[in-house]
Amino acid sequence: MFARLIPISLALALLQVSLRSKDDGDLSRRLRARDAGAMRELYDRYGRLVYSLILRMVRNSGAAEDLVQETFLRIWNRMQAFDEERGALGPWVLAVARNRAIDYLRSADGKMSVGALELDHLEHPGRFCDFEDRALSLDRARRLKDAFEKLTPHQKTVVELAYYEGLSQTEMAERMQQPLGTVKTWVRSALKVLREQLSEAAAV
Amino acid sequence: MNCDDLRDSYELFSLGLLEGEERREIEAHLARNCTVCQKYLRDALGVNALMLSQVQEVVPPSRLRRRVMASVGQEPAGWGWVAALAAACSLIVALWLSVEKRTTDHELTTARASLQQTLAERDRLEQAFTFLNQPETRQVNFGQGQPAPPRGNFFLNPRMGVLLIASNLPALPAGKAYEMWVIPKGGAPHPAGLFQSSPQGTAMHILAGAVDSNVTLAVTIEPESGSPAPTSSVLFAGGF
Repeated sequence: MFARLIPISLALALLQVSLRSKDDGDLSRRLRARDAGAMRELYDRYGRLVYSLILRMVRNSGAAEDLVQETFLRIWNRMQAFDEERGALGPWVLAVARNRAIDYLRSADGKMSVGALELDHLEHPGRFCDFEDRALSLDRARRLKDAFEKLTPHQKTVVELAYYEGLSQTEMAERMQQPLGTVKTWVRSALKVLREQLSEAAAV
Repeated sequence: MNCDDLRDSYELFSLGLLEGEERREIEAHLARNCTVCQKYLRDALGVNALMLSQVQEVVPPSRLRRRVMASVGQEPAGWGWVAALAAACSLIVALWLSVEKRTTDHELTTARASLQQTLAERDRLEQAFTFLNQPETRQVNFGQGQPAPPRGNFFLNPRMGVLLIASNLPALPAGKAYEMWVIPKGGAPHPAGLFQSSPQGTAMHILAGAVDSNVTLAVTIEPESGSPAPTSSVLFAGGF
């Protein structure tokens, strides 16, 4: 029944933005130094992706613009904590953007339910370090897309709710009118499939 | 649980899906700076980034870039460029108004001068009309019958003075003016005023004040500062 209520609309496109560039270090240094051109460069590199992600999540262009601005402002203000030698800007920017959108969705719903996500600790710049070069490659993105297509409808739904709606597992269970244990199983199994498909690809 | 037992939990943790004790356990592992746990979390964050980066692309409005840059003080805000444009427009308008004001001031000055000239001319015409309208005013013609002389009339009113109306006056050399003389019978010429002709060779000159009724009136060409006595031959004359 929930499948009719929650259409599976996660339309993955090919990765169009490099999430890690060789000049991330240089760009990071310039951002930390408040270089006038660095922020323009960061926006030109990730602005379209961030807007697309946030609009996909909040489905309101005016709110999306506010949240994009908030995202880049937060990046700007927290740049001093980013490791310019080891950090990857793309994953951090996307994590900040997702969290801003989830915050908005919750405030728009006027709810902060039991078990709702606590997000701040997930976007600390220190966490986005030491990615292997291949971890964020275009090939890996294609593999992930293929892996997603292999998920069951239930698994796709929970993945979408987790990534783009920011629901906790308790909230998913309520939304889908399914037992919490069942939903947890779908979530764990779906994420494991994605991980293993990527690992197999890496081993080939 | 050891790190490998928690392998599946790191993806959940990275998405914020772990709650309560499960979450605290992961955080405790990460706090120990365990390299295995750090790698698991890093892998999970990498997968998240790849997933999030694959949304359908939508082009943001161009104003959004300006907004973002303005929020970090790098470029004018959305309305900043409007303010800058307005300031530029104001400057242009101010310059235009300044030029316009100068032009208007100049035109006003010219108009005032023209008006004063017109009013002076009107006064002279009224004076001439009054002069001509008096019964005691007498008239003497000059220039009639001559090949190319100045022509015109002297009007004499013993109480009001002399009115000269002339045409066909020759163009004056630079620095010269016409000067009228009142010549009493048996006496020397008295200066009776300087005047210029119009481009068409016409002139009207008035000598205000009582004048002897038996005089000869004459006009010569003199320096524009005037002469106490004629220095050139008589151009035209008329006797009463």
